[in-house]
Amino acid sequence: MTLLKEPDHGTPRRPGPATVTVEVDGLPVTVPEGTSVLRAAGEAGIGIPKLCATDSLEAFGSCRLCLVEIDGRRGTPASCTTPVTEGMRVATETPRLQRLRRGVMELYISDHPLDCLTCSANGDCELQDMSGAVGLRQVRYGYEGANHLDAPTDTSNPYFDFDASKCIACSRCVRACDEVQGTFALTIEGRGFESKVSPGAGGSFMESECVSCGSCVQACPTATLQEKSVVQLGMPNRTVITTCAYCGVGCSFKAELRGNELVRMVPHKDGGANEGHSCVKGRFAFGYASHPDRKLKPMVRDTIDDEWREVEWDEAIGTVASRMLDIQQRHGAASIGAISSSRCTNEEVFVVQKMVRAAFGNNNIDTCARVCHSPTGYGLKQTFGESAGTQDFKSVAQADVIVVIGANPTDGHPVFASRMKRRLREGAQLIVVDPRRIDLVRSPHIEAAYHLPVRPGTNVAVVNAMSHVAVTEGLVDRDFVAERCEDFDTWATFIAQPEHSPEAVEEITGVPAADLRAAARLYATAGNGAIYYGLGVTEHSQGSTMVMGMANLAMACGNIGRDGVGVNPLRGQNNVQGSCDMGSFPHELPGYRHVSDEAVRGLFEGLWGRTIEKEPGLRIPNMFDAAIDGSFRGLFVHGEDIAQSDPNTQHVFAALRSMELVVVQDLFLNETAKFAHVFLPGASFLEKDGTFTNAERRINRVRSVMPPRSGKHEWEIICDIATAMGYPMSYTHPSEIMDEIASVTPTFTGVSFELLDKLGSVQWPCNENAPAGTPVMHIGEFVRGKGKFVRTEYVPTEERTTRRFPLVLTTGRILSQYNVGAQTRRTGNVAWHPEDVLEVHPHDAEDRGISDGDLVTLASRVGETTLHVRVADRMPVGVVYTTFHHPVTGANVVTTENSDWATNCPEYKVTAVQVSLAQPLVRHATEETYAISGQA
Amino acid sequence: MTGTVPAELRMINDIARQFRHLPPGEAAEAIASHVRRFWDPRMRARLQALADQAAPLDPLAAEAARLVG
Amino acid sequence: MTTVYVPRDSAARSVGADEVAAAFAEADPSLTIVRNGSRGMLWLEPLVEISSSEGRIGYGSVTPADVPGILAGTAESIGVVDEHPWLASQQRVTFARMGRTDPLSVDDYLANGGMAGLRRARTMTRAEVVAEVTESGLRGRGGAGFPAGIKWKTVMDCPDGLKFVCCNADEGDSGTYADRMVLEGDPFMLIEGMAIAAYAVGATEGYIYIRSEYPDGIATMREAIKRAEPWLDGFNLETRVGAGAYICGEETSMLESLEGKRGMVRAKPPIPAFEGLFGKPTVINNVLTLATVPTILAGGADAYQSLGVERSRGTQVFQLGGNVARGGIVETAFGITLGELVEGYGGGTRTGRPVRAVQVGGPLGAYVPTSQFDLPMDYEAFAKANAMVGHGGIVVFDESVDMAAQARFAFEFCAAESCGKCTPCRVGAVRGVEVIDRIRTGVDRDENLAVLEDLCELMTDGSLCAMGGLTPMPVRSAINHFSEDFEARQP
Repeated sequence: MTLLKEPDHGTPRRPGPATVTVEVDGLPVTVPEGTSVLRAAGEAGIGIPKLCATDSLEAFGSCRLCLVEIDGRRGTPASCTTPVTEGMRVATETPRLQRLRRGVMELYISDHPLDCLTCSANGDCELQDMSGAVGLRQVRYGYEGANHLDAPTDTSNPYFDFDASKCIACSRCVRACDEVQGTFALTIEGRGFESKVSPGAGGSFMESECVSCGSCVQACPTATLQEKSVVQLGMPNRTVITTCAYCGVGCSFKAELRGNELVRMVPHKDGGANEGHSCVKGRFAFGYASHPDRKLKPMVRDTIDDEWREVEWDEAIGTVASRMLDIQQRHGAASIGAISSSRCTNEEVFVVQKMVRAAFGNNNIDTCARVCHSPTGYGLKQTFGESAGTQDFKSVAQADVIVVIGANPTDGHPVFASRMKRRLREGAQLIVVDPRRIDLVRSPHIEAAYHLPVRPGTNVAVVNAMSHVAVTEGLVDRDFVAERCEDFDTWATFIAQPEHSPEAVEEITGVPAADLRAAARLYATAGNGAIYYGLGVTEHSQGSTMVMGMANLAMACGNIGRDGVGVNPLRGQNNVQGSCDMGSFPHELPGYRHVSDEAVRGLFEGLWGRTIEKEPGLRIPNMFDAAIDGSFRGLFVHGEDIAQSDPNTQHVFAALRSMELVVVQDLFLNETAKFAHVFLPGASFLEKDGTFTNAERRINRVRSVMPPRSGKHEWEIICDIATAMGYPMSYTHPSEIMDEIASVTPTFTGVSFELLDKLGSVQWPCNENAPAGTPVMHIGEFVRGKGKFVRTEYVPTEERTTRRFPLVLTTGRILSQYNVGAQTRRTGNVAWHPEDVLEVHPHDAEDRGISDGDLVTLASRVGETTLHVRVADRMPVGVVYTTFHHPVTGANVVTTENSDWATNCPEYKVTAVQVSLAQPLVRHATEETYAISGQA
Repeated sequence: MTGTVPAELRMINDIARQFRHLPPGEAAEAIASHVRRFWDPRMRARLQALADQAAPLDPLAAEAARLVG
Repeated sequence: MTTVYVPRDSAARSVGADEVAAAFAEADPSLTIVRNGSRGMLWLEPLVEISSSEGRIGYGSVTPADVPGILAGTAESIGVVDEHPWLASQQRVTFARMGRTDPLSVDDYLANGGMAGLRRARTMTRAEVVAEVTESGLRGRGGAGFPAGIKWKTVMDCPDGLKFVCCNADEGDSGTYADRMVLEGDPFMLIEGMAIAAYAVGATEGYIYIRSEYPDGIATMREAIKRAEPWLDGFNLETRVGAGAYICGEETSMLESLEGKRGMVRAKPPIPAFEGLFGKPTVINNVLTLATVPTILAGGADAYQSLGVERSRGTQVFQLGGNVARGGIVETAFGITLGELVEGYGGGTRTGRPVRAVQVGGPLGAYVPTSQFDLPMDYEAFAKANAMVGHGGIVVFDESVDMAAQARFAFEFCAAESCGKCTPCRVGAVRGVEVIDRIRTGVDRDENLAVLEDLCELMTDGSLCAMGGLTPMPVRSAINHFSEDFEARQP
């Protein structure tokens, strides 16, 4: 497959049917109203020369290359800024136009270095292309005139360079940062000939507000903004379209390679989730896949205190199988289990749960969704009938009021946040419910109408109060509720009680009643009200209740079943949705069907030829308890680092130590591997062949860019283990696994690699009813028939602040590091967040004699750790905040066993802590710093 | 550490607290149904043991434990 | 009770009007001293007027030393100011009140015909007001010459909602000062015009964008708005100040600046009438255009359009400047010839040497040779002669002018003031200077003249706005009419 160069139509596509017909150089073409002449010409097959126009950005009209002549109009208008009108006749190549275009190029080249042959953009430079296209043969101005040839190069960013000497001041980078990313980090400084691109107030890229999303690099038509990898390695020569393996947005990328060496990742314009945009992680932070820390050979050891011994695959697989069987022999079938990965493909996850159910013979299979969105699965299943979000990402473009609860999309789901910000800049209103003043509250051209700084642990009181307002002020969508829902009356009576009013809960929630009322009214009276939420909702002792509370509110206001509305979980991992879909739950088979359902079990039993256990198995926290108890002794951990990411670290360590066999299949020796007896080398997303499912239920293809470095695909390893344990399992190709999934899962019956290759991606349900997938769910009727109102009483968390632990710790994530940091810490991203810090409000800091940069002890009733402090006022008084990306800090040492009542999702967001000065302004012992591999 | 409180005790009391606003009969059945759907048999067995030993169960929880059987 | 009029206009102040006023106050504290607007006879400033039974007697170029003589009646006067031939022969319509009143006196304004236009407009429908303006033939006096009524109708026809009226008071053309005089000398007139415009199109907010280099105009305007507030009837009017960019006189750059952004030119479509300030329908007019509206409404469209020639109806406020003997404001009907303005009113050059060239319409206007002094001041006639009436600035040069240097200056000016957005202007202006330098030093003269012509074509046809688009006009006029200056010479 050669290098894929997507056509660039110059200006964005306009929505609507094609109804305007024009003639370009005699060729008729019909396009939607509002389309530019430039784009219409392109669709007629005529490429009008252009430099400042690109179809991800609105027309700018500055290069003056795309001039055309239009019958009946004077002069030579720019075709990019001229919309088509019915019957227009355009000429794109006349002697006059050719002279003008050559004149423009002559001016450009009179101020440009002439080193094409050694330039990193040689072969991929629009300036080169245009010089050729217009037939430039001479620059009669000479090259001794005023120029910018000695402008400096800014190399501050770890991933790309900015060589100002090659800049043609087309402003594409500035416009990309504005329109696509929404960060507005770049501007043009100076005027006239002195105009130059400036990141912020004249510093370097790293000093500015640039978030390194790469959209400016993509937009730049010359070598000015260029990936360092291209500068070093040269241009790639082939493309593989694949999907990012970081967050739940699931951006589509063109992996551009030379042979098997990945040169760069470029966002794919046809990506359903991202439409050509990316963030720093997917775009640049792929170096971990070739990091020296990658373990590529299987290893075993007898005890966890022994050294690792590299072995061949046969011995490793044999060890796993025989030891697992042995444990079962002595302690029963239910004494072993597995944790599947939310980072691995659907196919890989499917075979892991199949191994557990058919080869292990039990239901002890769980996934990391346990600790993030399991309440979403529970709550939305109860109310709507489906354990997934209701919309696609594009839907936000139709929202009028956007509510963001317990999420920080600009950090956690940046590409989706860019879509949201675009809609907010267009005028949609924003309500933020979060203890922290997240960036979205006030960012370029965006200001939240309301920021409700909810006290951690009191979410349900807030959402109940909002529903209370809707019901008691007559703002309920009566028609919707009557036609589409059940149990409304019982719920309405419940929610209308005075104890659910904003005034009644003001004290406990910390949210001023007037603001809460106003925000509720805003949402309830919106044309389209959309709720987006994250782990600030789910990682609480009432996480499931809160999800149901939001569902209640959305139903009451009629905000389900069309574009622009919905209840949207911002799922964290690249395939956590898929992992759940594939039945990685102790109580559910693939497709969210309970194991007790005889018919469903029968289906799988028929397919797999084994009896399937009908009682639910152990969830991850239950596995730990059972391990300490002695009844659970063997664990297969796939692509998951529970020793770092799960709460109450000491408890997790104790559980792992109690087990006889811990098997870790992963890319690196992680924290969990410290307790493992067998290590099986995994494959990065660059080596995988399968599918990921993002937060929109969108199934995307992951395609191998290179063969697995360990020699085996991960699904092959699982099949080998199952086979060695007496359940023969094999496939010749991962598409067969998807075919198997499709054959037994009603929401997946239409899915196949063939369909995905044809359509690019598809959102499940995809079956006879929806052969091309389902962007928006619950149109017409809910999956369970009627939407169910559930009474959601606010129950305070058991985690109370005390005199000993008077502060509340909440956790979250940031843009540049990802989850436990296993990947991002091994890339250039350490430039941004080399350590986890504790954010403390100035009042709390002053009370404790703490200043910015001091080393502090963070302690809870279960443990303590030390980390540096940042004094900042975006936290409210009484609440502190940290991230969990660096194992040396081990923030989860302090988080407790409290969890959501329904799903055991840990209450990461509420821990009673104390903070005290450990050492003023002293650097603590550095962690192993990971050397960054040669950037690739 | 989680201390000496058994996980099942903590969990069942957590669940019971969520249903206090329902009429008692309805509440106990809702709790029992939840436990049946989501708890591993060993955990259910330990719940029975706790109920038999008169551990400090929330009254609703105690009733639910009986219903789970 | 003697009233002494000493102008407060910046031009008068720059030659000592404040000191003269202070001298009068000191000489006789019982005097009533009115700081009036300027009559626009700038060669006579400070022009002091003393009230008398015959009318106001004028004394020209007054210094503090002249004050005793004036008070004693022994100084030489220029007679009754209103009867001065310079003024009496003009057709002052827009500037009818200029210099007669205290600019900030509401009473003076009302007593001199003020508010008549607005009062009448409020008895008419919006469509009728717009029709009146259209029928008057009033065209944009900033330089574009676009029919004001058509612009207003476009905005009026937009659906009801937030709409704006913006006054472009960025008067950046060298040699022009009429807008400044309105701001300083008859501010209520501009306010009334904007109020009428707002009423007609359905706008509730208005901005006057004043260049930062007019501090007196800014201060006077702000005070005038305060005093006019009672009769604005909900029309919210504010001033905004520029920051030293000629390009912000271009209407879309002005909008960008008003929105708090860099003054960069916007592509059209959409035109500001549909999507202007903050994306809303917006009327943008020059000071003189809006200042003429009250008189059109008060006196009727017929009266205004009966003056003028061809499609240039009504009067133009011409501003004589440069190397001219008698510089100042000449308001008269379109149709007067350039020669009458320069030789008749202007009296030729100040130096006494023959006039060689006259730049009409600002720094982007053509240099007109004396052989074309019979050109009538008329938008179309000038355009046909590859020249431009523009905002009415007329800058006189004598025979010592180097026209190649002037052509170079045209590019230099463009390079200094270019917003930088489009390539022909951003790079072309810089290259233009370099090419002319090579021509003037005899380097490949013929080739470079050809390159220069290509560059002029490129900038004319390819630029995003008139900044780059009109820069070739003075250059080409210099080459065409004064080609001898482009012969090789020593640097």
